[in-house]
Amino acid sequence: MVQCLIVDDNPHFTAAARRLLERQGITVAGVASTGEEALRRADELRPDVMLVDIDLGGESGLELAGRLHHQEDLGTRIILISSHAEEDYRDLIAASPAVGFLPKDTLSARAIHDMLASSAGEAPG
Amino acid sequence: MGFDVGGDERARRRVSSPAQRWLSGLLAGTVAVAAVTGVLALVDPHVPAPHLLMLYLLVVMPVAIVWGIGLAVVIACVSALAYAYMFVSPLHSFQITNSWSLVALVVFLVTAVVVGQLAARLRLATQRSARLSEEQAALRRVATLVARSVPASEVFEAVTREVGLLCGADLARMEQFEEDGTATGVAAWSRGPAQLAVGTRLTLDGPSIARAVRYGDGPVRVESFAGAKGTIAREALEVGIRSSVGCPIVVGGHLWGVIAASRKSDELFPDDTESQLASFTELIVTAIENADSRAQLDASRARVVAAADEARRRLERDLHDGAQQRLISLALELRMAQDTVPEDLPELRADLGQVVDALSSALEELRQISRGLHPAILSEGGLGPGLRALVRRSAVPVDLRVDTGSRYPPPVEVAAYYVVSEAVTNTTRHAGASHVEVTVEQHDGTLLLCVRDDGVGGADPGRGSGLTGLRDRVEALGGAIGITSPAGDGTVIEVSLPVEQSAGRPS
Repeated sequence: MVQCLIVDDNPHFTAAARRLLERQGITVAGVASTGEEALRRADELRPDVMLVDIDLGGESGLELAGRLHHQEDLGTRIILISSHAEEDYRDLIAASPAVGFLPKDTLSARAIHDMLASSAGEAPG
Repeated sequence: MGFDVGGDERARRRVSSPAQRWLSGLLAGTVAVAAVTGVLALVDPHVPAPHLLMLYLLVVMPVAIVWGIGLAVVIACVSALAYAYMFVSPLHSFQITNSWSLVALVVFLVTAVVVGQLAARLRLATQRSARLSEEQAALRRVATLVARSVPASEVFEAVTREVGLLCGADLARMEQFEEDGTATGVAAWSRGPAQLAVGTRLTLDGPSIARAVRYGDGPVRVESFAGAKGTIAREALEVGIRSSVGCPIVVGGHLWGVIAASRKSDELFPDDTESQLASFTELIVTAIENADSRAQLDASRARVVAAADEARRRLERDLHDGAQQRLISLALELRMAQDTVPEDLPELRADLGQVVDALSSALEELRQISRGLHPAILSEGGLGPGLRALVRRSAVPVDLRVDTGSRYPPPVEVAAYYVVSEAVTNTTRHAGASHVEVTVEQHDGTLLLCVRDDGVGGADPGRGSGLTGLRDRVEALGGAIGITSPAGDGTVIEVSLPVEQSAGRPS
């Protein structure tokens, strides 16, 4: 089963997302609400995929994605999520090491699997 | 006399010292006396010399006008001696035996003194009138600058120059007092190459006009810097200043600074110099007050714009953190519920599906509102990504060229974003354009934006369109906006925004 870490500072969303994904067959190994916590938990849990909110309160999810990417031997792929539309952030998503972007309201296990499958063969993010 | 003397001519006027002037007068007078004596010698055989004695007044009068009564009396005596030597018997001696000749000479001397005095008074009156009209002309020039609301620094420079020329000074400087007890030179003028410092802080640690004004009351003089110590005195001695005169500049009841004029010669400033300086300080005060109120107005406009932006940004945050997240969570919950509906209840599944779709539409509307309040990508990625996201949503094709990758202060980025956003919206709604070109570049600390369309033109920024709001926003940041929109020939909006915020200090 795919292991997932959700990085988002909104507890309503993380609770709903966790239940949805687990029900759809993805193991949510943990959640983190800040960049520091995300880096620590990523190192600890070594998830297959991390869902990182672009807007992490005062922090930038894009910056976190860059830091995670530079963390050696992590092997985790990053999917950026946001309540904004993809076209709002297109340039920044393209420039980030993330394998893709999902609007928060379209989140589903299938969307994650598709994204991982389409990025398979590429170097893990 | 009413003529306006150009700066260069005035600058050349005071070139010789008083002693030199006096000597040259004596020389010229003596030569003229010799010439008149020669004329008398020529006509002496035909006209009796005593009748021609008064011809010497032709020399005395101009000498009195040009060099003053003192030299005129000397020249009158020289004339009397020359006459006595050449024409009074015994000839070629200064002896006078004939009492009529003596009377004639005394009458000549008395007449010469009276005529000389009258001529000298005429000269003084003419000089005063010329000085007054020069002063009036100088005040008018400065007043014109003040009325045109040119930057205060420009007025300071003009005043310093006019004061220097008018007072017959060699150097002049305007200084602003600082809160730490120092003074800063804000403008300086010099007749020669040696300049007084401008822009640097001057410690008031020795005798100086600034110090005397700061701790005194009213206009002051320093008649000699000989042997004086301290920052300004040292500077004065270095450039060769002998004496200075200065006047306080009081703005709104507070001592703001000082205007000072200095001479390198031993000749002291005339008594009325202080009142001349004082007449300029009123104009300086008006210029400073104008600049202050302009700066306050600019700052207040900037605050209004910044407060509105901050309110919009906060609203966007509240929307994002509150309603948007709640609705997204709800959408996820509904999808979970949809998944758990048994297959034999297709109607319920369909109903739930409809609710999910309606929720998605509501979320999309919220996104649009939130984007309009404050584009999140602007804070996250800056102007380039922000504008690219903007033009992707435009109904009219936009050719965007951003030649800067720098990040700017948030008010500058927001203003630039809204300029392009409003311009593109206007183009779409009113211009009927088929193509829009947007360029963004930075030149010497200024961000330059240009939005050009091929639409119908004829946009009127005064007709309460969004362009008025743009002007407010741009000018509040100290920028400028130009709109060219000839009917039938497209619209060009050009905006320049200073990247560094000005401090708003009047000097």
